[in-house]
Amino acid sequence: MFKKVLIANRGEIAVRIIRACHELGLETVAVYSEADRAALHVRYADQAYLLGPAPARESYLRGDIIIDLAKRSGAGAIHPGYGFLAEREDFARAVQDAGLVFIGPKPSAIAAMGDKAIARATVTAAGIPIVPGTEGEGDLTDDELISIAPKIGFPLLIKATAGGGGKGMREVRGLEEMPGLIQAARREAEAAFGDGNVYLEKLLLNARHIEFQILADDHGNLIHLGERECSLQRRHQKLLEESPSPLLDEKLRQQMGQVACAAARSVDYLNAGTIEFLVDKEHNFYFLEMNTRLQVEHPVTELVTGVDIVKEQIPIAQGQKLRYTQDDIQLNGWAIECRINAEDPFNNFLPSTGFIDQITQPTGPGVRVDSGVYPGLEISPYYDSLISKLICWGETRHDAILRMRRALEEYRILGVRTNIPFHQKIMDSRHFITGQFDTRFVEERFSMDEAEDGVESLPHIAAILATLVVHHQTQQATKIVRQDDRQKRGWKWAGRMERLGE
Amino acid sequence: MKYVTTIDDQSYQIEIITEDEITADGKRHTVDFQSVIGPLVVSLILDSQSYEAYVNPTEAGLEVLLRGQRYLVNVEDERKRLLRDVSGTKAIRRDEIQLKAPMPGLIVAVPVEEGQLVDKGDNLVVLESMKMQNEIKAPREGKVTGVRVNPGDNVDQNQVLVVIN
Repeated sequence: MFKKVLIANRGEIAVRIIRACHELGLETVAVYSEADRAALHVRYADQAYLLGPAPARESYLRGDIIIDLAKRSGAGAIHPGYGFLAEREDFARAVQDAGLVFIGPKPSAIAAMGDKAIARATVTAAGIPIVPGTEGEGDLTDDELISIAPKIGFPLLIKATAGGGGKGMREVRGLEEMPGLIQAARREAEAAFGDGNVYLEKLLLNARHIEFQILADDHGNLIHLGERECSLQRRHQKLLEESPSPLLDEKLRQQMGQVACAAARSVDYLNAGTIEFLVDKEHNFYFLEMNTRLQVEHPVTELVTGVDIVKEQIPIAQGQKLRYTQDDIQLNGWAIECRINAEDPFNNFLPSTGFIDQITQPTGPGVRVDSGVYPGLEISPYYDSLISKLICWGETRHDAILRMRRALEEYRILGVRTNIPFHQKIMDSRHFITGQFDTRFVEERFSMDEAEDGVESLPHIAAILATLVVHHQTQQATKIVRQDDRQKRGWKWAGRMERLGE
Repeated sequence: MKYVTTIDDQSYQIEIITEDEITADGKRHTVDFQSVIGPLVVSLILDSQSYEAYVNPTEAGLEVLLRGQRYLVNVEDERKRLLRDVSGTKAIRRDEIQLKAPMPGLIVAVPVEEGQLVDKGDNLVVLESMKMQNEIKAPREGKVTGVRVNPGDNVDQNQVLVVIN
C-alpha cells in the first residue's frame, strides 16, 4: 500500500489533492514548471521537482518525466487531477507498467469513454439513451460528415472525439457553414488533444446539463452521489454549478442515478467519475459523455453529501472497499460553486493576464474557497484562466444564493480582471433565482448591461467615490512634491493615482 | 474644490469642502475616505453608511465597481470644465481603429486581407491563448487598411493586429 503520492498537476486542484493526502497521513510530491516555482502546491507538498519550461507540453504533459520522478522520489501512486494527463489512457497504462498506482479508473475505461464516438456506441449497447448524432466508432472524413449532417438536422454540434471542456467544439446552423467549422474544430482539437477527429451531435435546445458523480471500488461496489446542475455555461465552459439541481425531483433523480450507474458499469468503472446528461424540456434525458476523472465542480457534491471525494479516491486506489452504500448517500442542503476566472465580463469575457497584486478571500460560515493563487502569481497565457472556486453551502437554495452573494462581495482580487461581477449579476438574476435557465441562458438571454429589477443602483455614491479619488490624487501629488527623497514609498502610489486621472 | 462628475448623462455637482465634509448637488455629507487594499480598493463612510469599491482607470474614464455594479465616471474640476467650454474643444473622432491583442498569444488565423470591407462583428483574427481560441471581431464596419500579423506569429499584449479605417 502506497505511502507517498505524486500529484501530476498544478493550481487549485493540486493544492486540493495535497490537502487530502496530508489529512490521510500520506506524503506528497509536487511537480512544477518554471512558471510555478512559487506556487502553493510546490510550497505545501513534502517534496517538489522541476519538470521543465512553462508550456504544458514541456512540463505538465511530460508523462515520461513525471513517472520517472515518481520512481525517484519513492512515490507509490500518481494522482492526475483534471486536465493535462488525467484522461490519457497511455499515461495511465505507463503508470501501471512502471509498477505505480494510477489514482483513477483503469486505462481501458479511460479509452472506452475518452473517445466520445466509442463511448456513445458502448453505452448505447448497454441500453442507455444518447443524444442523436453520428453512430459508430470510425473516424469520419469531412465529406462524410457533411453528407450525414442533414440527416441529423440543424442546429448541430461538431465535437472532438478526444474532446472535453468545450475545446474542438463548434455549433453549426446550416449546411453551408459545415466545411469551415469542421476545419476550425479539427484545428482546435488537434492543438488541444493532438487528435483532430470529430463527430456530430444534434444540438438540443433549451436543454439542461446535469451530471451524476460516481464512486466505484475494485470489489464490484458502484454508487452515485447525486447530481450537479451545470447549465450555466459560456462557450461550453461551465461557469457555475450547484447541487442538487432545481429541476430534478426525487423520482427523476433516482431514475437518472440508476442510468448513470449502469453507464459507468458498462465500462467496468473504478474510482471517481462523472456521467453527464442533457435533459430536455420534457425531462427526457440523454447520455452526453463520461468524464473519467475528478471534476472541477466536485466540491458542491462534497458539501451536500458530506463525502470527501478526493479522500475517498485514495483508499479505493489502495484496493479498499467503498465505505458507503447507495442508501448512505443523502443530500443535505444546497451548495453552489462559482468559478472565479481571470476574464473580463465587461469585455466579452476576454481572458485577462497579469500579476495578482493582492487577494482578500471571503470567509465565514458556509464558505469554502479552493484556490491555488497568491499575491505575485502571474496569470499567464500558458494555463487556463481559473483563479479559484468559491463554494457556498446553505440549508436551502435560497440561503445558498444569499450566502454566495455576500461572499462574492467580500472577495477582492487586484491585478487582473475577474468574472466576480458576472457571478454577482447571476445571483441577482430573476431567472437564476427561480431556476429558469438552460445551457444557452448566459449567451442568449443574459447581459451584463441590463439592470435587474429590485437591485439597488448607486450612481451618486459611485460619483462621490470617483470624485474623492481624483481629488485625493491631486492633493497627494502636490504633497509628494514637497516631500524629500527619504519618503519615496509614496511615489509608487502617486504614480498609480496619476494614471487614475488620465 | 468643485467638481462636475458625470455618469452616462447624469451630472453631479460635488464640492470638497474639507477632508471630512462635502456637498453633492447642494446636499451636505460627512465623509471618511481611504484606500484599503492597494490604491485601487477604496472605503467610504458617507454619513455613517459604509461602502467599498474598486476604482480602475480606463480609456473611457474611471471605472467604479460597487456592489457588483459597474459605473463609468468622468470627473472634471470646475476650472478644467470652464476652459474646455471656452475653447470649445470636443473629442476628436479618429476614423482609424487599431485592433490590439487583448492578451499575449498565438495567431491561429487571419481571415481578412488588406483592402477588404468588413461589417461590425466580422471575425478579423483568431488568437489562441489560455488554451482557448478567441475571435477578435470588428468593433464597427470599415475597410481593412493594414494586417500586421500572420498565422503562426506569437504576439504580445496590446500589439496591433489589424487596422480598420
